[in-house]
Amino acid sequence: MSLDTLLSYNWGIMTPEFIILVVIALLTIFDLFMPKTMDRKILGWIGLAAIFAAMVTTASLAGGSVESILDDTFRLDSFAIAFKLLLLAGAGLVMFLAVSHEAKEGLENYKGEFYYLFLTALLGTMIMTSSGDLITLYIGLELLSISSYILAGIRKNNLKSNESAMKYVINGSISSAIALFGMSYVYGLTGTTNLLDIAAQLSVLMDSQHVYLLGISFLMILVGLAFKLAAAPFHMWAPDVYQGAPTPVTAFLSVVSKTAGFVIVIRILLTVFGAAATEGPGSVPLLLDMQDYIAVIAGATMIIGNVVALKQTNIKRLFAYSSIAHAGYLLVAVTTLSSNMFYSIWFYLLAYLLMNLGVFAVIQVVAGKTGSEKITDFAGLYRRSPWLAVAMGILLISLAGFPGTAGFIGKLNIFMGAFATEGHYVLASIMIATTVISYFYYFGVMTQIFFRPAADTSKFHIPFGILVVLIITVVGSIWFGIFPNTALDFMHNNLNIIDDFFS
Amino acid sequence: MENAWLIPLFPLLSFLILLLIGKRLREASAYVGILLTLASLVFSILVLVERFSEPTYLEQFTWLTIGDFHLTAGFEVNQLNALMLFIVSLVSFLVHTYSKGYMHGDERFPVFYAYLGLFTFAMLGLVLSPNLLQTYIFWELVGVGSFLLIGFYYYKEEAKAAAKKAFIMTRIGDVGLLIGMILLFWQTKSFEYSEIFASIEAGAVSQTMITLTAILIFIGAIGKSGQFPLHTWLPDAMEGPTPVSALIHAATMVAAGVYLVAALFPLFSASETALLTVATIGAFTAIFAASIGLVQTDIKRVLAYSTVSQLGYMMLALGSAGYVAGVFHLMTHAFFKALLFLAAGSVIHAVHTQNIEEMGGLWKKLRLTGPLFLIGTLAIAGVPGLSGFFSKDEILVAAWEGGHPVLFLLALIAAFFTAFYMFRLFFLVFTGEARGLQENVHESPTVMTLPMVVLGILAIVAGYVNTPWFGTFLGDWLVDGNEVLGHGHMEGPSWIMIAATVISLLGIYLAWLIYGKRTIARDWLSGQGGMLHTVLYNKYYIDEFYQLTVISVTRGISYFLRFIDTFLVEGVAKGMVGFVHGLGKTGSKLQNGQTQMYGTVAFLGLALLAFIFALTGGYLK
Repeated sequence: MSLDTLLSYNWGIMTPEFIILVVIALLTIFDLFMPKTMDRKILGWIGLAAIFAAMVTTASLAGGSVESILDDTFRLDSFAIAFKLLLLAGAGLVMFLAVSHEAKEGLENYKGEFYYLFLTALLGTMIMTSSGDLITLYIGLELLSISSYILAGIRKNNLKSNESAMKYVINGSISSAIALFGMSYVYGLTGTTNLLDIAAQLSVLMDSQHVYLLGISFLMILVGLAFKLAAAPFHMWAPDVYQGAPTPVTAFLSVVSKTAGFVIVIRILLTVFGAAATEGPGSVPLLLDMQDYIAVIAGATMIIGNVVALKQTNIKRLFAYSSIAHAGYLLVAVTTLSSNMFYSIWFYLLAYLLMNLGVFAVIQVVAGKTGSEKITDFAGLYRRSPWLAVAMGILLISLAGFPGTAGFIGKLNIFMGAFATEGHYVLASIMIATTVISYFYYFGVMTQIFFRPAADTSKFHIPFGILVVLIITVVGSIWFGIFPNTALDFMHNNLNIIDDFFS
Repeated sequence: MENAWLIPLFPLLSFLILLLIGKRLREASAYVGILLTLASLVFSILVLVERFSEPTYLEQFTWLTIGDFHLTAGFEVNQLNALMLFIVSLVSFLVHTYSKGYMHGDERFPVFYAYLGLFTFAMLGLVLSPNLLQTYIFWELVGVGSFLLIGFYYYKEEAKAAAKKAFIMTRIGDVGLLIGMILLFWQTKSFEYSEIFASIEAGAVSQTMITLTAILIFIGAIGKSGQFPLHTWLPDAMEGPTPVSALIHAATMVAAGVYLVAALFPLFSASETALLTVATIGAFTAIFAASIGLVQTDIKRVLAYSTVSQLGYMMLALGSAGYVAGVFHLMTHAFFKALLFLAAGSVIHAVHTQNIEEMGGLWKKLRLTGPLFLIGTLAIAGVPGLSGFFSKDEILVAAWEGGHPVLFLLALIAAFFTAFYMFRLFFLVFTGEARGLQENVHESPTVMTLPMVVLGILAIVAGYVNTPWFGTFLGDWLVDGNEVLGHGHMEGPSWIMIAATVISLLGIYLAWLIYGKRTIARDWLSGQGGMLHTVLYNKYYIDEFYQLTVISVTRGISYFLRFIDTFLVEGVAKGMVGFVHGLGKTGSKLQNGQTQMYGTVAFLGLALLAFIFALTGGYLK
């Protein structure tokens, strides 16, 4: 590749990534040369500024045509912009949590790393959204994963944190290996890693032997990525890892990492397997034939996530299972493949981002004060800090999918999608039944907050960062519950995901 | 009418104000709540009056776009809405006023008023909704409001349990509503009432689908309106403060189920099966709950079962195609039942117990509450001249004309029960000797008695808007311009009215014999000596006769039904909960913290998927 071609590329479409990358480099250097005694919080604020700048530039890129550079490995389409905005928003809120995080033990010396590892993980997710190639997809995935492994274990002297990181590495490696193995089949069949080239080749696939191989590869990729989504039965790492990791990291894993998981699932499944013919050109795509497998995983995820959550006593484990359950609802949208799928998944992830990050902000305050993470620590929260309690209450009813909240609209979208295509009644029924089950544990927490006497009556100190997160998430959860069109209109008017996605 | 959307906003404003500065206002919070609900009431009256002369007003805008569907939001003022607005805002206003006296001295006084505001907002919003989705949203909000109000005394274990039970039981019904609603949307491509009715009329929806959706939606109504078998939350919900019982269990939340069926009446009337289901469940609930009411000893529980029973009546009316009868009874019941609850609250306020065995002889001590309670009792018993008489008569006519002789009979027996247990309650509480410790018994303050007087007057006169004697104004107005709703008045054989009167008087007489008798006998003996000994003997004989036959049989039945209630209905519910919990236990046991276990499960999962893939042959053909 000559320098001329390199310079002829429209690098402008990578501006958000470059911003993050440059700031990562700067933060690393600052951290190295800053005096040991100096507070590293400033690094967090710089990171936040970078995320904000990246968000603005991403938004300004919206509305243009599809562009790709570097031999079509990096592409900027509406899908990428829409989900990048989500990832950046999520990472920004997590950064606020991180800045306000007062670790009891073992974090002080690594606070610098804490911030720029978040950014490298974020960079990984951003690359994933814009990938037009299996290689870049995988690189993005690994950048995210490896950063997350370190983040989970960043409290070096904390045994739980170590255990969490160790388990995450092992399980993560298993999943990566399985997914990579599956991808190798695709490469073997087509001889290319470019997603659109693969799609073009597979759409004229005739040989049933090859289709069979492709089916196996589909299952392996699905399973490998299901790890990332923490979908059952590949979810078992999640509760342990969520419990051991520092709260901002848990928040990051449950929201940003999960969003990235759905991004890669949609990218690969839709482009590769959505195009793969089963009986020659123009026949039913493989993805439609394999819908039932996704449906089974979706159903199992909803059931296991919600039912096992009933038995939890640790608040972070409870929300680990809750986030598993939400992955299940999202998988319902993936299964149904309705025309509205992109929008319903995007909106659900937005709602989920708001309500879940808000909840983790509250957990960080309460757990930081009491030093333990028991659900009973929330007893009498209403007495001790009415505003915190009310905020938590609103976030919980949004998670439960109550009308008037963003969570409800998200569920409604998915639910309607299940009926729009040729009725996925079973899946829809499971979704409703498990939603009802979820009331029990969400309202269990509510009962603690509002109806139980407090063990001690000391007030909470709410740091500025937490306050910002709570205001954004609570207001957002209600705003998008009452005026959902404000978000969806922006999507419909500026981003034409469906047309962009396959061109 | 274009400003009708303001009506629910006043209570919401009250909720927000009290949430923000309630603590500083303390008991002055009451004035905020009272004034703002008064504003709602004034607007409701204006809207109602305007609706008499003007056509239905509908305004809506696009709220949410899902794929190709545009969901709308807005508000509608038709006859039913206008009437409901009036009822709800009136009762809410009166309860707000009453609570100022009743809740006086409570530590969380402002919170109580804030919750009342939220609840009233939700209920008024529900009533104004022009489409199913919006109805559903407010429907859930009503659930939240009732959860907060029932659990208001959160330091009482029973109140906490009751709040949770009410919430979850009604949620079970809500699932039915949600599914029915989505199915209906799937069939008609709209949530709007008018468009749904248009598609049904045009025959765009298959008969089976109409029946299915109607029954699913009815399940939602069963939950909210405490119909069998989802009624168990309602009596437990009596743990809430008494004004709340008056608000929730007389005029608003429980009436929401009936309102929903009425609002969707064109859907229900398109399916014979659906109507029959509604009628049967209604009639069964009416007699079932009434028979349980016979043996309760808690003043509020008697009223709670009576509410369940009366709601059954309304369902029976609607199910028998008696749209007017159902709505009419909804209105009269709202007045006299709110009156009864408030009067019961006044009694409890005076004697500090809810056990009727510990009351007695209160007539002389509560000079205002006593007569007002009597008015309510006479109205609910169906004594001629009071509101309950006319509406109950309409229902009986509807059941008879609808061709349900068995259901008609059940309703008639239930009417007998009603008269009996209500007067049993009255005699035990107000007549005879004081049985418990009754010190410092005094009448409630004016702020509490005044709302009761208003309701008392309404309980008497509200029936005259729709009578076979002076004209059926309400009925004619309700069905005006909408033929699907049936006629404004049903002509029934005149013996029904006579039979209903006789039955209810019989019930009162029997109650008097058993529970009032002792007093009279004592008076009689002291005044007349042994002169009328034979007569007395005869009376005693009748008493014994009833005791042996009617009472013991009905007692037996009611105990049996209570048995079913506690063991079968709750047993099934418990079994389900147990199953889910067991599943959860197994799931968390597998989660043993061993990474190798997690890996194994994952690989097994992959192997299983691959195995199924191989087994089904994949694509090797």
